[in-house]
Amino acid sequence: MDGERRVHPDCINASNPYHECVEYCFKKIAEAKAKLEKLGLVEAVSGQSRESLADKRIEEESSEEEEEEDEEDSQEPEVDVNQLTGRKKKLFELRLKMSRESLADKRIEEESSEEEEEEDEEDSQEPEVDVNQLTGRKKKLFELRLKMNEARKFNQTDVGSEKKKMEAPTEPKGISKQKWVEARQKKIGKILDANGLDMSKAYMLDTQEAAETKYKKWEKEPTPSGWDVFNQKTLYNAYKKRTKNIQVDIEEYNRMRAADPEFYREASSLQYGKAPKISKDKIDKMAKELHDREEKRQEFSRRRKFREEKDIDSINDRNEHFNKKIERAFGKYTLEIKNNLERGTALPD
Amino acid sequence: MVSVCEKDSKLPRPTRVKNKSPAAVQITAEQLLREARERQEPEVLPSEHSITDSTELSDYRLRRRKEFEDRVSRGGRSDVQVWVNYARWEESQKDYARARSVWERALKDHHRNHALWVKYAESEMKNKFVNSARHVWDRAVYLLPRVDQLWYKYSHMEEMLGNIAGARQIFERWMNWSPDQQGWLSFAKFELRYNETERARSIYERFFLCHPKASSFIRYAEFEVKCGEVSRARDVYERAMEKLEGDYEEAEMLYLAFAEFEQGCNEFQRARVIYKFALDHIPIGRAEELYTRFIAFEKQHGDKQGIEDAIVGRRRTL
Repeated sequence: MDGERRVHPDCINASNPYHECVEYCFKKIAEAKAKLEKLGLVEAVSGQSRESLADKRIEEESSEEEEEEDEEDSQEPEVDVNQLTGRKKKLFELRLKMSRESLADKRIEEESSEEEEEEDEEDSQEPEVDVNQLTGRKKKLFELRLKMNEARKFNQTDVGSEKKKMEAPTEPKGISKQKWVEARQKKIGKILDANGLDMSKAYMLDTQEAAETKYKKWEKEPTPSGWDVFNQKTLYNAYKKRTKNIQVDIEEYNRMRAADPEFYREASSLQYGKAPKISKDKIDKMAKELHDREEKRQEFSRRRKFREEKDIDSINDRNEHFNKKIERAFGKYTLEIKNNLERGTALPD
Repeated sequence: MVSVCEKDSKLPRPTRVKNKSPAAVQITAEQLLREARERQEPEVLPSEHSITDSTELSDYRLRRRKEFEDRVSRGGRSDVQVWVNYARWEESQKDYARARSVWERALKDHHRNHALWVKYAESEMKNKFVNSARHVWDRAVYLLPRVDQLWYKYSHMEEMLGNIAGARQIFERWMNWSPDQQGWLSFAKFELRYNETERARSIYERFFLCHPKASSFIRYAEFEVKCGEVSRARDVYERAMEKLEGDYEEAEMLYLAFAEFEQGCNEFQRARVIYKFALDHIPIGRAEELYTRFIAFEKQHGDKQGIEDAIVGRRRTL
């Protein structure tokens, strides 16, 4: 691939064997040259580096540019920094750092920290060319700026990680299921894309064993019906569901524990009859929960669709209801007889 | 009977049927039914009548009470629902003393009906009579200690009211009756809800003293794994292995669970040892599941020699 590559020798990416210079590269080269020429004025240099960076980041939000302006603004008095003595200088630097932090906090939702790091890297790249030529004051200023950048970087990464922590608090019992599901979806999505498949064909990624376990799941036990609906297992499940809605108040629990000497009482404790003072809202909550349960109970039996049958075998609504009950109970036994009657003659069997 | 000889009413003489063959068009039963249905007159309901003053109200109440009492005395022996409707109506009239008396009368005949107890207690709870509800639950649980639903609901009520110590006492009382697995598990879950892991552990210990079966050990070990105490889980499994030496079916389940657990901990050597131990100890006829799992395990984590050994071992038994 060496042939004819259009690479400007002054381009910073010249060492990259696959790089080919484009307009952007030429622009950068021109700027670097201009900078070398304008070595004298530190402010001009900084202004230009800021401007050049702004040119680069066309897509980025304006707030960043605002910060640049802020930085420029805050840099103006910096010229005096070198004239400030010890303590005042430190105070000034601290104040700068704090202003940086506040700006960074504002911006964290809008941009990713990566872009910041990029910018910082580029930041630190530009002046590096001149570092050996900067003397006393300018050198100190340069170092100060480096420190500020570093501080900004650290702040942003910290804020980012804090935000992540806030959003997904660690579960006491392992990784949250939702996160696991999301991670898995992503993984599957990636593999599917690699094979050119669609999400709908996700099942093609399953191994044979996994597929077999899935089939096993389909062969579930039939749901209980009739009188069996209230068997022990279903009652236990209903209780479990209700306990999920209990709001556990740990502080109140600890308070009660501290107050009551017989908190862990045995079955035969004499504290049985004595009930603690129960606040009204707890009672209301309990009553409300019972009302909710009752409403849920209404939905237990689904209303069936009314079919206008061709066959009417009742003279009345009550009669119809009765016929339905009878059919449910005896239908399967009297099927033969019914068919015979419909036909008119019995089959010889 | 009207005498036909009366001169006033001259009914036409019944004509004699001449043609006794069936008509060409016969009416079907279906048609009869359809016609009957269509010609139904709407049911006559008592007219809607709004109550305007207190005398009318008391009249209405009297009337309904009489109806209910009739119904109850007529069919009350077998039908609990009539009692329930009566009591609920009294509650809707906000006459709680009467409602209670109706409930009590119902219970006199149907004290074995746990649903009736549940309905009574829930009605007290809904109307926010907490101490009455407690009283009812206490009686119910005293009379029908083997009905789990009563215990669940009683402890749930105390938990909802925030009386955790009371709820704990109820659970303890229940455990004295040695209920089945679900009862113990719900007690342990209750303790875990308040982060009392030590107590939950002691409950699990009592649990498998009461039910020395493989499933209880496995549950205990799962609990320990959930708490992150892997070494304790291992202890549990080892204790279980000692206890369940004799019973083969139980032991098989236990070995499988133990081996899976070790696989989960990435302790493959131990898992292998367990599988081999299990295969040695269980009579060959029953070890089907064990073999399949062992072979799968070896395929995943073993070397070629191991896999071959396992498969050969299996073939030999078949």
